[in-house]
Amino acid sequence: MSEATTSNARPRSDRARRRFEVGVLSVPALVMFIGFVILPVFMAAYYGFYKWKGFGKPNVNGTFVGLDNYRVILTDPSFQQALGHTLFIAVMSLVIQGPLAILFALLLNQKFKGRGLIRTLIFVPYVVSEVIVGTGWSLMLQPTGAVNAVLAKFGLHGVDWIANPKIAIWTLMFIISWKYIGFAVILMIAGMQAIPEELYEAARVDGAGFWRQQWSITLPLLGPTIRMWAFMSIIGSLQLFDLVYIIWGQYVASTAGTSTMATYMVREGRLANNYGYGSAVAVVIFVISLVIALSYQKFVLNRDLDGAVEGNRGGSGSKPRRKARIRGAAVERTAAAVEAADTMERTAVETIRKGARAAAAPLMAKELEA
Amino acid sequence: MKIKPILAGTLALATLIGASACGGGDGKTADGKTEVVVWMNSTTGDGKKFWEDAAAAFEKEHADVDIKIEAIQNEDMDGKLQTALQDPASAPDMFLARGGQKLRDVVEAGQVMDLTDKISDEVKTQMATALDTTSIDGKVYGVPQSVLPGGIWYSKDLFKQAGITDTPKTWDEFKADVDKLKAAGITPIALGGKDAWPAAHWYYWFALRECSQSAFDEASNDMKFTNECWVKAGDDVQDLLDLDGFNDGFLTTSAQQGASSSAGLLANHMAAMELMGGWEPGVVRDLTPDQKDMADLGYFTFPEMEGGEGSPTAILAGADAMSIGAWAPQEAVDFLNFISQQEWQEKYAEAFVTIPAAKNAQSAVTNEALKQVLGAYDQASSVSLWLDTVFGQNVGNALNEGVVNMMAGKGNAEDIVKGIEAAAAKG
Repeated sequence: MSEATTSNARPRSDRARRRFEVGVLSVPALVMFIGFVILPVFMAAYYGFYKWKGFGKPNVNGTFVGLDNYRVILTDPSFQQALGHTLFIAVMSLVIQGPLAILFALLLNQKFKGRGLIRTLIFVPYVVSEVIVGTGWSLMLQPTGAVNAVLAKFGLHGVDWIANPKIAIWTLMFIISWKYIGFAVILMIAGMQAIPEELYEAARVDGAGFWRQQWSITLPLLGPTIRMWAFMSIIGSLQLFDLVYIIWGQYVASTAGTSTMATYMVREGRLANNYGYGSAVAVVIFVISLVIALSYQKFVLNRDLDGAVEGNRGGSGSKPRRKARIRGAAVERTAAAVEAADTMERTAVETIRKGARAAAAPLMAKELEA
Repeated sequence: MKIKPILAGTLALATLIGASACGGGDGKTADGKTEVVVWMNSTTGDGKKFWEDAAAAFEKEHADVDIKIEAIQNEDMDGKLQTALQDPASAPDMFLARGGQKLRDVVEAGQVMDLTDKISDEVKTQMATALDTTSIDGKVYGVPQSVLPGGIWYSKDLFKQAGITDTPKTWDEFKADVDKLKAAGITPIALGGKDAWPAAHWYYWFALRECSQSAFDEASNDMKFTNECWVKAGDDVQDLLDLDGFNDGFLTTSAQQGASSSAGLLANHMAAMELMGGWEPGVVRDLTPDQKDMADLGYFTFPEMEGGEGSPTAILAGADAMSIGAWAPQEAVDFLNFISQQEWQEKYAEAFVTIPAAKNAQSAVTNEALKQVLGAYDQASSVSLWLDTVFGQNVGNALNEGVVNMMAGKGNAEDIVKGIEAAAAKG
């Protein structure tokens, strides 16, 4: 029946049907998005005006306090510390991971035996879930854990890596770098592979050495990739919650000096049962993240994005236009890079899964026998 | 082809509506029985079986009632309850409550049934002491199932190994014993600082010994920590820290999860003692290598502080109680009275390795260490709730965190009080 209607349908009703289909099919997604993303933001803003324990309704069981929650948040030393830690993590992630990732990418972009294996290995930590990473490292970094045991073998006296407030944040930085550098490296490699080989050839003809080539060709042309990666890294840092929550638990993160805005929100909102206050914290985090993200887009990413629009229009060879076109090409390259990274990620995940399955197979066989 | 997207869309909408609708209901099952939903926190083993057995026994007597036992992971309980209580249709009829400010919050929101005139005479007489923990302004809002007095749990073998013949009665004796344990190469005290409250319990106990009953009650009731005994208790914590008797990395050690937790250290003879509540024998049992009762587990009450104004026999305790939702049917109250009878209280004590709230069921306690606890409980001059329970999570957490900060070398006794005041501004 449906075949007949389709073949007889005129183009006009065909378009109407398409519109209808799109409309109907996007309803669930829209309902979810509005219900679980947009609405909660406004609800949080509403709850944030109350002192409210989460039972009943805020206007009945809570007290309206206006902007008082926000005053308390901004003057609370614990929040200021949490904000400080978050910004520290955001900046240090860029400073530590950026250069390292580029160097690793340069290395892994060369042709040598076992390159695929090393690429996969460097990507493994990124694929492993935060909970596993957190639990694993926190067990190894205990004062009586594996790390200190190894150090003792070399005659070194280890410290309490996690609990010592002077060291804990650096321990966290180390774990973050270890976990997320793989993603940066893959992104950079993909970016590098999109740089035309001719440029290097031309440079070599001009007598440029290896480092000179990287400095004058790779780095500038990698710009869009780096800027994109930095954006993702900053957003990730602002949201950092799970690693800290797993390693330091619900209570001692601020004692150890590793609390983040998100752990502060959960600690003061949900765990303290102050749902009004917690919602206000959520709004503050939302605003801080929004401001940072928007200004980054405006002042940093926009250079790439503007170029994309102009570049696509094409045009004559006047200087600004040409620049724009190069930028447009750069954006396309970044997009390609992200896509390539995505593919690599999937391949890596698949490889790991296969490996795990292969490793698990004999065990399972044994179990079946038993 | 046209019918498909419409179908898909309808289906998606129907799923959404269905998902929101399944929480609803009028408290009746399909076959007309009255449904009573119970939320408790035993997800495994004997505890879970106790609830299932009790429900089955009650249903046998009352054919028209369907008791639905739902086990909620302890750590998830508060959050889930919070959400569920927003809507009577999705809320349980009976749920775990631990008294203190938290219960007060729910009561003030009008979500808990006043049980003062509904509890059976047996409950009233046999649980007279324990009912204090769930009474607010003279009204009863829950029936305790067990009382969990705290104290110091220790390994008799390790004490013997260190040449300690008698458990310490005073703080000085305690300190001497810690030194003896250290000299014997044994970690004296296990502490799970990651969860904060195990560390804070030391502070509560010091305060209980240092503060007069009136000063302690004043702080419990009004959150006023003006009496200097609270600072003295902080100094005692410092004294304790200076003993250097805790397990390495106590700040990131959890209390009950796995062999490397503080309870696990005690269970596996990696540390000699731990300050804990009455649930310790059950927790330790699950963490011994063979998951059997720890044979040499002993108990002594918190030592006496010289010059302290508190009674040396006063104890801190917690209580696990069940409360009834304001919307629940009469059958829920009946079920609560049913499980509070002697027979089921005895079974509860056996299943959870704990002290039952009903006096007439306390003979069911067979665990040696628990018997000692029971002795201390019966002789106690007063029984106070854990301070974090009394204050509720907001101020309670701040108090706990203040103690942890101090133990990490950040801040002193006065900062603890400051933290409490700051927290009060948030809630």
